[in-house]
Amino acid sequence: MRYVRHCNRELRAAYIELLKQDAGQGAEFPLPDLLVAKDMTMPRHALLATLALCLMFLWTPASVAAQSETPLQDVLQTVQEQVARPSRAQVAAVLDALQAADAPGTMEFLNRWAARDVFERPEDGLFFYAREGESRSLTLIDLDTGADVAEVTSRDVNQIRVNAGVRREIEGALVTFELLAPDRARRLAAVRTIARSPEAEHIPVLESALAEEQDGAVAERMARVLDLLNARFATDGAARVAAIEGLSGDITTEARRALNQILSTRSEFAPEIPEGVNVARIRTPGEDLDLIAAYARLAEADLVPPRQGRNAIRDALRANVVDGEVGGIPVHQLDTDEMRRAAYTALEEAGSVAPLVTQSDMEAAVAEYVFFDAYIEPDQAVTDAARASLDSTRTAISLWQFLGISLDALSLASIFFLAAIGLAITFGVMRVINMAHGEFIMMGAYTGYVVQTVIPNLTTSLIVALPLAFAVTFAAGVAMERLVIRHLYTRPLETLLATFGISIALQQLAKNIFGTQARPLTSPDWLAGAIQINDVVSVASIRVAIFVMAIGFLLLLLFILNRTRLGLEVRAVTQNPGMAASMGINPDRINMLTFGLGSGIAGVAGVSIGLVAQVTSEMGANYIVQSFMTVVVGGVGSVFGTLAGAGLIGALQKGIEWFNPANTLAAQTYMVLFIILFIQFRPKGIVALKGRAAGD
Amino acid sequence: MYIPRQTAAQTRRSFLRENPSVLWFMGLLGLFTLGVTILSEAFGIGVISTNLVKILGMTLCLCLIAIAMDVVWGYCGILSLGHFAFFGLGGYAIGMWLMYARTEIVIRDSLGRGTIPPTETEVSEAVAAQIFGVVGSSELPLIWSFAGSLPFQLAMVVLVPGLLALVFGWLAFRSRVTGVYLSILTQAMTLALSLYLFQNDTGLRGNNGLSGLQNIPGFLDVPQSIISVWFFWASSLALGAGYLLFAWLVSGKFGSVIRAIRDNEARVRFLGYNVEGYKLFVFTVTAIISGIAGALYYPQAGIINPAEIAPIASIYLAVWVAIGGRGRLYGAVIGAALVSLLSSWLTGGGAPNIDLGFFRIVWTDWWLVLLGLGFVLVTLFFPKGIGGLFDYLVRKS
Amino acid sequence: MSTLLEVSGVSVTFDGFRAINNLSIAIGEPELRAVIGPNGAGKTTFMDIVTGKTKPDEGKVLWGEKSTDLLKLSESDIAKIGIGRKFQKPTVFEEQSVRDNLAMALKNKRGPLSVLIWKAGAQDRARIEELAEEIGLTERLDHRAGDLSHGQKQWLEIGMLLAQDPRLLLVDEPAAGMTPAEREHTTDLLKRAAKTRAVMVIEHDMEFIRRLECRVTVLHEGSVLAEGSLDHVTKNQQVIDVYLGR
Repeated sequence: MRYVRHCNRELRAAYIELLKQDAGQGAEFPLPDLLVAKDMTMPRHALLATLALCLMFLWTPASVAAQSETPLQDVLQTVQEQVARPSRAQVAAVLDALQAADAPGTMEFLNRWAARDVFERPEDGLFFYAREGESRSLTLIDLDTGADVAEVTSRDVNQIRVNAGVRREIEGALVTFELLAPDRARRLAAVRTIARSPEAEHIPVLESALAEEQDGAVAERMARVLDLLNARFATDGAARVAAIEGLSGDITTEARRALNQILSTRSEFAPEIPEGVNVARIRTPGEDLDLIAAYARLAEADLVPPRQGRNAIRDALRANVVDGEVGGIPVHQLDTDEMRRAAYTALEEAGSVAPLVTQSDMEAAVAEYVFFDAYIEPDQAVTDAARASLDSTRTAISLWQFLGISLDALSLASIFFLAAIGLAITFGVMRVINMAHGEFIMMGAYTGYVVQTVIPNLTTSLIVALPLAFAVTFAAGVAMERLVIRHLYTRPLETLLATFGISIALQQLAKNIFGTQARPLTSPDWLAGAIQINDVVSVASIRVAIFVMAIGFLLLLLFILNRTRLGLEVRAVTQNPGMAASMGINPDRINMLTFGLGSGIAGVAGVSIGLVAQVTSEMGANYIVQSFMTVVVGGVGSVFGTLAGAGLIGALQKGIEWFNPANTLAAQTYMVLFIILFIQFRPKGIVALKGRAAGD
Repeated sequence: MYIPRQTAAQTRRSFLRENPSVLWFMGLLGLFTLGVTILSEAFGIGVISTNLVKILGMTLCLCLIAIAMDVVWGYCGILSLGHFAFFGLGGYAIGMWLMYARTEIVIRDSLGRGTIPPTETEVSEAVAAQIFGVVGSSELPLIWSFAGSLPFQLAMVVLVPGLLALVFGWLAFRSRVTGVYLSILTQAMTLALSLYLFQNDTGLRGNNGLSGLQNIPGFLDVPQSIISVWFFWASSLALGAGYLLFAWLVSGKFGSVIRAIRDNEARVRFLGYNVEGYKLFVFTVTAIISGIAGALYYPQAGIINPAEIAPIASIYLAVWVAIGGRGRLYGAVIGAALVSLLSSWLTGGGAPNIDLGFFRIVWTDWWLVLLGLGFVLVTLFFPKGIGGLFDYLVRKS
Repeated sequence: MSTLLEVSGVSVTFDGFRAINNLSIAIGEPELRAVIGPNGAGKTTFMDIVTGKTKPDEGKVLWGEKSTDLLKLSESDIAKIGIGRKFQKPTVFEEQSVRDNLAMALKNKRGPLSVLIWKAGAQDRARIEELAEEIGLTERLDHRAGDLSHGQKQWLEIGMLLAQDPRLLLVDEPAAGMTPAEREHTTDLLKRAAKTRAVMVIEHDMEFIRRLECRVTVLHEGSVLAEGSLDHVTKNQQVIDVYLGR
């Protein structure tokens, strides 16, 4: 460790030496292809800000301890003149001094120095940061302690003005500082920053850092980014091609962006293809180029007279009305295109308007020119390599995207499963359609919201909310079963309607209590982020949690149904209520408990859905139809059926969305249509009970 | 076989004699229509505002779809949760003509003021830009090709709901989907349709829907007070005709068969009746009547959008019929009229709020709660609905 | 007597349980036939197959002179072709009058449109009166079918079968829950019906079958165990074993 650090120090010194030489000769930093890069890179101050931000996080106590104790102010005073009046020739000395001292706060100082945010007090020559106050007053801040020092006016101090050349030097130094930092994380962060906003001048810096790098992973990363830089900025064509080939198979956004950047084209036309133009594609009018559009481009360049559109003809006629006639044709007859053209021809013969550009005119004019797309990059070897490189990533990206879609579908399926499984239990066991199921989901979500307002700690409140939501909706379900559904067992369609009545009452009640505004249900921090697999695929942690919860519920239900007395009785009642009753099972009790269980699960589902969607009084209604479809598609009365149904619907919705990502409404429409058709062919769902148990 | 001339008359007389409620209903409907006309602003003493005439006319249309629902559910046992889709489609079909024709008149008027008369292409392009500007398009979608033709769109009022019902019903009944499954399936149908219409690129203006439907092309100078009464008459006529049609349909052997299907469809099959055919017939006929009801409703409402077709609307329809009393046509009319009028009165802020001292009942907030709970009570304790009260009274007297 | 219905080699399985196992049975026209067998012998499933409610896994069901394949027809088409079925539990339309129940069963066109414009003619009315007399329900023609006694419902259902005028009548336990007098009436009805058509009666009650005086088929575990006169089959050792237990 010590050795590495020592090496780094030497390297820094060497680099600064290099800077000095450059500056001494007044030479520009090599900036090839700056024109191409300019508009795509991050603005400079943004880059600096990002770097600074990285640094603030990474300035760990360990690295502070390793630094010298010399205050920054003292270091700066040794090069007071150069800091106060910076020039390209002088800046290296300052960097050298800072480098040597490695005082805490150096990074921040460099940043602020470059941003013209450092002030000199003429009396003692000390430097300060400042904060603007009322009417041109400034509060001076100590560089080392960050404490307020004095209140002055802007006339009392000199703002240190740093010109563009110096600023570039400082930035280079900043990057170097970080690339050579002793802390591995800081070096990685610096590489990441470069990758995010690549610039030509990073190449030599990165090259030298790479040469010194001992850590294999970091070195690999540096080499990758170096390829990225070389691919775009290297002066030597062969070097660029080599770098581009190095990027093949790289699916990161930055690599693909770099390659796409190289492959950007502009469309042009000329009598014939000029020498030295790197042609991407030749366009044939009438095939992959609209004839009228091609002609319009010629007209724009004043090479041909503009074509008269319908409006132009009309305007020309309008301008030439004489005694209610145009070219001998009465105005009132000019209500068809043929008559208008005839009138125009008459005017044309009289010489009062420009000749009509006909289809054949346009064809002839366009045939004179070649229309083509040219790469902005002139070197064909480079563009060919970039194309090949990009193509090689395509398959990998599609596979990753497919994985991403699958994960999305899985998470959607988990939500559908959670929303539908309670329904599946009540529907499957009791053949009762509970239209208020969605409102139980809503009740669960609002329970979560209320708990959050009482318990501020998000994790605790979530842990409290889940069982509480279960309890609340369990009670509501049992009450509903006892008061309403029990009396309607022989009339399933009326159960549907009665529970719908309850559903609208509950919905309005929630609106009266909580208002129409969406209420937030915030997930704790440890669930707030996303798991980033690579640049193509990432999954929100909350969705993973919901998936885990769905799996948990699946296992719990399977356990209850298959391994407990209650489950045995429930299955008995499902398959043959009469027989079950004669064997001493009380169907009323079983029905009540089952209904409570199904409703309770809806409540828990409500909490989890509330974490990903808005909590409103209408949220239940949004899930109810989909839940029904999940149950019906899956097959009534089977936990695995519901699982299959949720999986199918989730996969289907995401799959359709993939083909038409802009239009989720269309995806939903087609999904519902698919379900309607599906039920035609498998009326009993995916997992169908057969024989007499199906109860037909 | 020779059928003597008087047999037809005999049939008619006996139909009405067997169904005295039809005569009663026709009489009351006629009196109501006459009463509203006399009290209207346009043709009478002006006690009833134009707005109220419209609401009453719309209510008649809702009664018409309610009796259609009663036939399909109360008589044939198919709890369709999708009949409002047909209602909406009827509205869209007529709305397309209303909107196109009116816009065309306006456009021709403004283009005609120029020195040179517009060509047909210019007119239709301008109309398209005017209508579809809100969804960022200026092209006339294919389905609007004949929107300028009233006969065509009137045919669509009948054909679109009819064909949709035919195809959907054929698929559903053929695979013997029954009971709650069928209800869910019809709900899925109406959900799919409303989601489809919510899209901007489907050619029906997305969630903007069609608007300005109260302006009737050709009668743009006629004041709304008169037009509202015209539509009221038309709605009343349609309800009367629909009632007569359905009453005839459910009386006699056909009614006997469909009620038998409701009670035990397997048994009817073993009697040799093609149950699917009957269901399909009833489903399609009621869908067409629903479409007609919608075509009369939306010009009075003035606007139609996909939210009208959302599944909830069709469920409310079932609620009206259940509250009014299934299996009797006048029950459906009572339910629809009562609940929809009460609902618009209470949620429209027309009803005075009640201050109980400790609690203030604000009707706009509490009406739905009461309706929901009331509906549960009706289902539990009065499965025959309000119409059941008549039975009770008749038995008493 | 020509063969009217021929069932050959039919098997059907429900979730691994073989309800009908290579069953072959034929009935001529006119003929009265009784089918007996212990519970689970497949009697009801056999009727389900003939009437199209259940599709068998294998085998053939042929009908009439033209040997029509019944397996390709729907329930309603099978009913229209001339097979009437009476269920074990009386299933009449309780909400409707006896007259409407009979009118629905009358042999008329069954399409929705013909039914819509149908109006009871003199012939139809006479036929309904005639049937009502035969099943002893003349007095109750305009009463709700739901108000009838259990036995009367059974007769009404038989009456509806007769109104259909089928060539083959499948009758499932017609005498269940009847008083002795009612049973006698039922036996007469069936015997009279069998003079002009094929009638197949499923029954448990030996006394009832004895009174029918007809050929008997014994079903056991989904296939035919024995066939012949009642005396003949009751002497069969296998039948005795099945019925009385070993």
